[in-house]
Amino acid sequence: MTRHEERDVVIVGGGPAGLAAARRLAAAGLRVTVLDEQPELGGQYFRRPAPEVARVWGEHRPEGRRLVEAVRAAGVECRTGHLVWGVDDDGRTLLVSDPAEHPVRLRGRYVIVATGAYERPFPFPGWQLPGVTTPGFAQHLAAADHTPIGERVLLAGSGPFLLPVACSLLALGVNVAGIAEAGHPYRPGLRALGAVRHPARLRELAGYAARLARARVPLWQDTVVVRADGGERVTSVTLAATAAPTRAVRTVAVDALCVGYGFRPQSDLARMLGCAVRTDPATGDATPVLTASGRSTRDDVYVIGEAAGIGGAPIAAARGLTAALDILAREGHDVPAAELRRPARAGRRLERFKKLTDALYPAPAELARLLPATLPDAATLCRCEAVTAGEVRRVARTTAGDVNATKAWTRAGMGPCQGRECGFAVSAVARTSPDVFPSRLPVRPVPVTTLLEMARTEATRTEVAPTEATRAGAARPEAARPEPVGPEPAGEGEAA
Amino acid sequence: MTTADVVIIGAGVLGASAASRLARDGHRVVVLERGAPGREGSGTTAGNLHVQAVHTRRPGQAVPLDSARFTPLQRAASDLWQDVEDDLDASVELRRSGGFTVAETPAQVRELHDKQAWEHAAGITTEILDGDAARAALPQLGPSVAAATWCPLDGYANPLKVTPAYLADAVRHGAELVPFAPVTGVARDGGGWRVTAGARQVVAPVVIDVAGPWLHRIAALAGITLDLAPVAIQMHATVRSPAGLPHLVQHIGEGLSVKQVSAGNLLVGGGWPARRLDLDGRSDAGVDSMVGNLALAVRILPFVRGLRLLRAWAGPLAATPDEMPVIGEVPGSPGFLVAGGTYAFTFAPLWAETLRRLVAGAEPPVDISDLGPERLMQDLPEKKR
Repeated sequence: MTRHEERDVVIVGGGPAGLAAARRLAAAGLRVTVLDEQPELGGQYFRRPAPEVARVWGEHRPEGRRLVEAVRAAGVECRTGHLVWGVDDDGRTLLVSDPAEHPVRLRGRYVIVATGAYERPFPFPGWQLPGVTTPGFAQHLAAADHTPIGERVLLAGSGPFLLPVACSLLALGVNVAGIAEAGHPYRPGLRALGAVRHPARLRELAGYAARLARARVPLWQDTVVVRADGGERVTSVTLAATAAPTRAVRTVAVDALCVGYGFRPQSDLARMLGCAVRTDPATGDATPVLTASGRSTRDDVYVIGEAAGIGGAPIAAARGLTAALDILAREGHDVPAAELRRPARAGRRLERFKKLTDALYPAPAELARLLPATLPDAATLCRCEAVTAGEVRRVARTTAGDVNATKAWTRAGMGPCQGRECGFAVSAVARTSPDVFPSRLPVRPVPVTTLLEMARTEATRTEVAPTEATRAGAARPEAARPEPVGPEPAGEGEAA
Repeated sequence: MTTADVVIIGAGVLGASAASRLARDGHRVVVLERGAPGREGSGTTAGNLHVQAVHTRRPGQAVPLDSARFTPLQRAASDLWQDVEDDLDASVELRRSGGFTVAETPAQVRELHDKQAWEHAAGITTEILDGDAARAALPQLGPSVAAATWCPLDGYANPLKVTPAYLADAVRHGAELVPFAPVTGVARDGGGWRVTAGARQVVAPVVIDVAGPWLHRIAALAGITLDLAPVAIQMHATVRSPAGLPHLVQHIGEGLSVKQVSAGNLLVGGGWPARRLDLDGRSDAGVDSMVGNLALAVRILPFVRGLRLLRAWAGPLAATPDEMPVIGEVPGSPGFLVAGGTYAFTFAPLWAETLRRLVAGAEPPVDISDLGPERLMQDLPEKKR
C-alpha cells in the first residue's frame, strides 16, 4: 500500500445526509472530510446553481447554502470534485481522484457512505432519442442552470418526484404537456387518509398538486409511456394503460420527455467496502443491512441518506445526524440524552410518513413485474452496448436467476454506465429481480494516468514521510478483507 | 432418477465443448452446472488463443510450465480452432490475426530464441523481429521493446460466446443442460456412477469431471483425492478505443496480454493475482495488481495511457501444482474422467475431441500419456490442500 491521508471520519457524499453528519461530527472536534464528485456541495436536493445563475435568478433552496456554510464553519474539510472510485486492497482506504484526476488515498477511522441514489429509468422504444431524459436531469438543469429541458415537456414514470419537477418546469415558463403516472396515487382513499397525521409533508405534495391544477396540467394515472417517436429529437409520445400496454390510448406532441420511476440506492461503494446488503422486499433493490443508527455489518462503516434506502431529504438528514451521534457516543463524547432522542424520534416519524407515501405509489418490485410487458423484443434495453430486450429474454431462459450471467451473455450493462441506467430493467426483463450487478472496481471509469500515478507514488513512497501514512503504510495488507465485526446485522430496524 | 450415457459436471468451456462432441456421437449427455453456464473461469478468462510458446510465469506462479511439452498441444488445438465457427454455425468473434510476444532485456531476447526452437519443432511458424522491425509491424509498441516473436496463428475468441455456442450445439444434438444444479454426490452404482444434484439423480457409465477450480471437490465426492492449486487472477477492460490494435500482445518475462476485442474495448491481463480466491462466492479484483498490470501495459503500448479503465474482474484459474493440463481416466475409477488445468480455453476443442475419443475407446488425437490424473494423486500427505 502507498501513502494515504487519515481522518477520524471520511464522508462520501455532500448531500443532506452527509452534510448533517459532517456538521455534527466536526462540531464535536473530530477531523472530518467530506468528498463529493460535484463541484459544489449540496447533493442533488440542495444543488447549488452556478454563481452567474444565482446572481440573475436567485437561489434554489437557499437553506442548502446555509447548511454548506455551517459545515465549512464547523471546520469540515470539504473536497469537492473528488470522485471516490474504489477501495484499496486493505478493504478500508478509499481510492479517490481529485479534480485534476490525480490519485488521492484517504482513510477514515470511520467511513460514512452517503452516496445518494440513482434514478430508476425504464426503457421503451425510442428512449435513445435526443430530448428523452429523466426527471432528475430536468430538475438539475432547472436548478443549477435555470435552463428548461424543452418547451413542451411530458413527465412520466411514477412517484412523488414528478410533481416538484413539473412545478420547476412551470416556473421556467415551460408548457408541461402532462404527467403520466404508472400508479393511481392521486385519489382520495383509505390509504391516503393516513397521511393527514403528517400535515406538513402532505402540504408540500398538496402544494405542488394545486400549482399543477392551476396551470391545468393534465394528469393521467395508471398510464405509462410505451413509445417515443421523432427524427432529430423526440416529437411525440405514445401512452397506454399500465395494465394494457399494447393498446395505445393517447399520443402527445412534445419536444422533451422525462421518464423516471423514482430512485434506487447507490450501494456500489458500500458493497465494495464489504457491507452486507439484502434485497428490500418492497423495492427489490440491494439495500445495505444497517442498525437503527446506520451502522453497517462493518463496524467502522455507516451508510446514510438515500444510499441506505430511498426516503427523501428530511429522512436523509435525520439518518445523517443519528449516525453522527452514534459515532460520538462510541468515541466517548458526552451526547445529551435529549439530543440523542430528537433525530431518532424525527426519523421514526418521517419513516412512518414514508411508508404512507410509499403505499400510494406502485412499489418498484411491482413495477419490475408490470413494466417488461411494455417492452417489445426489438426495443433497446442497454443503450451503451445496444442490446435489445429480445436478446436478454432469449438468454434469460438459460441464465435465469443470475443477472451477472445475463450481462455476460448479452453485454447488457457492460458499457460506460456499468448498468446504472439499465440495471433495473435488465433484471426486470430477465426476471432475475431482485438482483443487482456485482459492484466492480472502478465504480466509475478511471483514467489510466491516475493509475500510473499511483504506481509512481508506490515506487517513490520512501521519499514521502507523512506522519500518519507510515504507521499504517508499513506493511503490505493481507489479501483478506477485514471480517465484519460488531452488531448482528439482521432485523433490528434497518434504516429503510 | 434418470439414466444417461455420459454425465458432464461443469458447463464451462470444457464441459460445453465435450458435451457438443459426445452428443454428436449419439450419446445421451446430461450436463450439470452449479450456477449459470460459463460464468466462472470460462466466463472470466481473457479469450486468448495461444499458439506460440507460452513461456511467461504469471506473477506469483511457483513453477514454470513445460513449454516444450506444450507446443505440440498448442499446434493441435490451433488446427481445431480454425473450424470452430463453421462447425458450430455460430460467430464466436474468432480472430486469427496473429500475436507478438515482446522482450525488453537481453535475457528476455535470448528466451525468444529458446522458445522458437520448440515452436519450430512443433511445426509452429514464428519469426523473431528486432525492436525496430517489431515497431514497424506494430507501431503502437513502445521504445522499450527490444525484440518480439511474431506468430501469425495467435488469436482471440470471445469466451462469452464460445461456451454458449458449444452448449447450444450440444442441446441441438440432444444433450440436456441443467444449470443451477450443484452436484452433491457422486457414487458408484453397479458398473457406473450415480450423480446427485439436488433432487436430481442421474446414473451413467461415464462421468466427466470438468468442474474447473472445483475439479478436486467433485472428485472428492467420488472418493478420489486430487491435488489442485486453483488461484484467482484478474482482467481489466478499458473503455472502447478507436485505436486499432489488430494483434495480441504478450510479454516474455512479465505478466501481460493485451488485445482489442470486437466491441472496441482493450482487454489487459497477464495472470496478475486477484485480491482473493473465493470458491464459494465471487473472487475480487485487487488494486495492486490493477495498477501493476496497467503500468506494464502502458510501458509496452504507450497509447493505453490515454484510455480510461472501465472495469476489472477476477476469476478462478484451475491450475495444477505443476502448471500442466490434466486429462484422462482416474486410475482405479473406471468411467471417471477428468479434464482441466491451465490454458483450458485454448485447449478446449482439443480436450473435447480427446474426451470424445476416450469415451469411444479410441486413440486420443495427441499423446496424453503423461498428462493423466495419477500424477496429482502422489505425495498426498504433504501436498494436500
